[in-house]
Amino acid sequence: MALLDTHKTPLTTAQVAHLLRRTTFGHTPSLLSSLSGKKAEDIIQILLTDKPAPAPPTDENGQTFHDLPFGFPETVDADKNKNDGKKRARIKWWTAGLMVNQPASILEKMTLFWQNHFVSTATVVSDARFIYRQSQLLRKYALGNFKTFVVEITKDPAMLLYLNGNQNVVGKPNENYGRELQELFTIGRGNYDENDVKAASKVLTGWRPLNYRSAAQADIGVEFRPASHDTTDKVFSASYQNTVIKGRTGATAGEEELNELINMILAQDETARFIVRKFYRWFVQADISPQIETEVIEPLAKVFRKDYEIKPVLQTLFRSNHFYDENLIGSQIKSPLDLIVGTMRIFNQIAPDSGNDRTSYDLFTQYVYSQAKVQQMDIFDQPTVFGWRPYYDTDFYEIWINSTTLALRGSFTDAIVKGSNAMKINIDSVNLAKQVSEPSDPVILINELSENMYPFALTQEQKDYLIDQVLIPGLPRYEWQLEWQAYTSDPTNNAKRNAVKLKLNSLLQFMLRLAEYQMG
Amino acid sequence: MKRRDFIQYATSSFFLPLILDGFGAKAHTKATTPFMKAMQQIADANDRILVVIQLNGGNDGLNMVLPLDQYSTYTASNFRGNIAIPENKVLKLNGKPETGLHPSMTGLQTLYNEGKLSIIQAAGYANPSFSHFRASDIWFTAVDSDKISTSGWLGRYVENTYDGFPDNYPSSSNPDPLAIQISSISSTAFVTSSASAALAIQDPDTFAKIVGDKPNIISGDLPDTPAGKYTAFIRQQQISSVAYAGQLKIAAGKGKNLVTYPTQNTLADQLKIVSRLIAGGLQTKIYYVTLGGFDTHSNQVNAGDTSVGSHADLLSKLSSGIKAFMDDLKAQGNDNKVVGMTFSEFGRRAISNGSRGTDHGWASPLFVFGNAVKTQMIGKNPNLKDLDNNNIKLQTDFRQVYASILTDWMGASEATVKTILLDKTFSILPIFRQQQVLGTETEVPGTNFKIYPNPAVGETILESDKFNGGISDLQLSDMTGRNYSSRWSQLSANKIRLDLSNLPSGKYLVCVETRQEPIVGTLVVSH
Repeated sequence: MALLDTHKTPLTTAQVAHLLRRTTFGHTPSLLSSLSGKKAEDIIQILLTDKPAPAPPTDENGQTFHDLPFGFPETVDADKNKNDGKKRARIKWWTAGLMVNQPASILEKMTLFWQNHFVSTATVVSDARFIYRQSQLLRKYALGNFKTFVVEITKDPAMLLYLNGNQNVVGKPNENYGRELQELFTIGRGNYDENDVKAASKVLTGWRPLNYRSAAQADIGVEFRPASHDTTDKVFSASYQNTVIKGRTGATAGEEELNELINMILAQDETARFIVRKFYRWFVQADISPQIETEVIEPLAKVFRKDYEIKPVLQTLFRSNHFYDENLIGSQIKSPLDLIVGTMRIFNQIAPDSGNDRTSYDLFTQYVYSQAKVQQMDIFDQPTVFGWRPYYDTDFYEIWINSTTLALRGSFTDAIVKGSNAMKINIDSVNLAKQVSEPSDPVILINELSENMYPFALTQEQKDYLIDQVLIPGLPRYEWQLEWQAYTSDPTNNAKRNAVKLKLNSLLQFMLRLAEYQMG
Repeated sequence: MKRRDFIQYATSSFFLPLILDGFGAKAHTKATTPFMKAMQQIADANDRILVVIQLNGGNDGLNMVLPLDQYSTYTASNFRGNIAIPENKVLKLNGKPETGLHPSMTGLQTLYNEGKLSIIQAAGYANPSFSHFRASDIWFTAVDSDKISTSGWLGRYVENTYDGFPDNYPSSSNPDPLAIQISSISSTAFVTSSASAALAIQDPDTFAKIVGDKPNIISGDLPDTPAGKYTAFIRQQQISSVAYAGQLKIAAGKGKNLVTYPTQNTLADQLKIVSRLIAGGLQTKIYYVTLGGFDTHSNQVNAGDTSVGSHADLLSKLSSGIKAFMDDLKAQGNDNKVVGMTFSEFGRRAISNGSRGTDHGWASPLFVFGNAVKTQMIGKNPNLKDLDNNNIKLQTDFRQVYASILTDWMGASEATVKTILLDKTFSILPIFRQQQVLGTETEVPGTNFKIYPNPAVGETILESDKFNGGISDLQLSDMTGRNYSSRWSQLSANKIRLDLSNLPSGKYLVCVETRQEPIVGTLVVSH
């Protein structure tokens, strides 16, 4: 049986939870119950369905700002910079809010994948309008055609700014983008030479952003200036079969040569493999063995090469027997966003409405974003063009974890359990316990609470520890029943409610600090 | 991230973070402000340590501290016949023929006879809760039984004593955790307005791992999968991220246990760590340890011999654990620095049930131990013929014990103690003071509040300068929390006459609502 054969039996709840952790940051309770028992193929169809573009980010007054001139309404340069910094921050908060409130769709996880693939950071770009424009592009092509995507991102003005494409002009080439396009965005290192970097850079001459940091013009865009374009023929190495891209002149020269360049790179077998490996490390696991290379990467690359549509590759992967391999459940360490967004979702904590409850919405989304940032996952601000280290460097996901980030993860989950009125975060542990089939029985309580919290079941030893050392330390188990009944028979008594609530909060905080909860 | 910020994240956690040895050098916050200098001096001058021992489950105090003066009542078949400790086995206390200890508590008997143990009789609070959770919360947070607080008394102590806690900690004068608890979860007693004031060390095994000893428990094998590999990696990171791990490692490396502790005794295991950290010079002020299993509804004694059984085992652990700990401290030369107290969320019913057990009850005795103890018996044996629904009546509010320890041992000011005890003033018990002669007058220390005569017959005089601004109310309640109408008149600016003719004999709390604050005192009426 081949690893990529279709998984035919209906998915168990644990398998659905696995699929949703990998494709949506994590399940909400209602999503989990509505999808359990369906076949992988049917769920994937839901996850891959196109979604309308979200409403643009707005300021504290509910007004859009991507359509205003740079720094508007400030007049002094320093104030304009500050103003734009705030707008860039708002785009990040807005993105965090979309992640938490996402429907059953892979779109947010995939958009984040591409943001980390085609890195352009907000700090370097330093004009919120361009970052928002790029985010729209990433979202538009996240599940679209990779070839078109690469063409479009190459001309994207934020990308031009981030990788110096705007300084790449005839006679004075800037090779930054020409290199990263091949090394990081398409074919990967070792499959081209320095001459190819030079030739590609010549192809890419002549593009520049429009109205960058312009306080006069609201509209932004990109333009091709034929006069700055290198019109000579571009000769590539044997890696590209000595292809020559003919030098052109005139207004369409840049577009035509760019299309030829991308066609040439994507015609190489290695390009599809390179991208598919990156999908695999994002969605499945870090370790790509020779067997995985032959039986998973290569066949998926073949699917991808057909016409570079993204959806069929994801579909083949997510419906495969391999994806539901018992040994691969929990085979990642949660990224900070997996942890933060996933925790919000598992406890049904959605971002407040941006229209009716603006203050809470801002606080909530800012919190989600900044928690991810301190845990070393700053959306739209990767440390380098390589993206976040855990997706490419030795040790992979383990890089997310050190004693500092582990402490931060713990204090985050503690805080969520404690709740926040200002942010409208309230997981209400007492109410959570009430959802359990028999909350007065500590064994059932722990069984059911832990059931979907971790990728795999806790051991009996761990569950006993949770009951006897964490929930009711030093007491016989039946005392939990008495305490719970004392509360439920007098539900309006605050002291009694508080008594069980404190115990349940401690329990949840402890459970969320177990190493197992960090597994994604 | 700054170390300080880091520790702040850390202090709210169970596995409190700190990069093991990663910070290398200590934080060198300079003591430049006059306040910091003053704090440093206080820290240098006051190296006193408090050890709190929680007996989880509701300890049967009546089988722990035995009323030898009422033994026929105690052993009667309709009282405690099925669980009564035989009189000839009860351990005797020097100079206290009417009171004895459970036969398994030879260690504490020795401490008592050496003058290092104080027994506080019938402690608790009015209007008791018989819920483990709620009753524990009341003890943790030091509230009246109808009130709720979200912070704990020890947390408030730390917050009110150490300026800028937790933001400015650790500091050069306080590089170590201010409080350490050995437990899976942080006690509510340590909750402050922002976080837990205590560093929680999960258990002796976690401690062993931090300091590089061999752990006792070998955790189960993890599967040979990516998930197994990552789980192992994170668990290892959790150990090294326990806050102050470097500090603990240094102290534990320097400190040595100089006596042999009893084995198979979880309390002794914890106290052993505490002693080692104290010996290693850790400047932690409060340690908190727990012994569970006191919820003895059935078979608390063996059928054949009531002096042995599950409750006897627990008391033996308690007694031998404390004794070994005190011996160790003495051998290290640290015995003058440490005072300990025990508490349990409630006592048990005076009358046993049919299963050789006892159900949830009310007041029960607690212990304070240490060389600093001056008065060895606070209160009297409970009167077994004067019960309240089969419950032992209250003699001492538990917050009087807190107030006494905070004031006379920890050196907290009157104002601080009042803040810690949620704006109430409690009279100080003479645990650390020479016993006063009762019967003439009592004064609530620091408040200048005098009640005389006390005990009183027909009327008594209340005196305090704080009456000057006017008095809005005067409340009288007995130890069960029952309120009595008060008949009083103001004699002068600082004196009130209180008519007692309507009150039955007994002990009362008098609460005078002055313009500045409520003042509380204890009054005994004996007609």
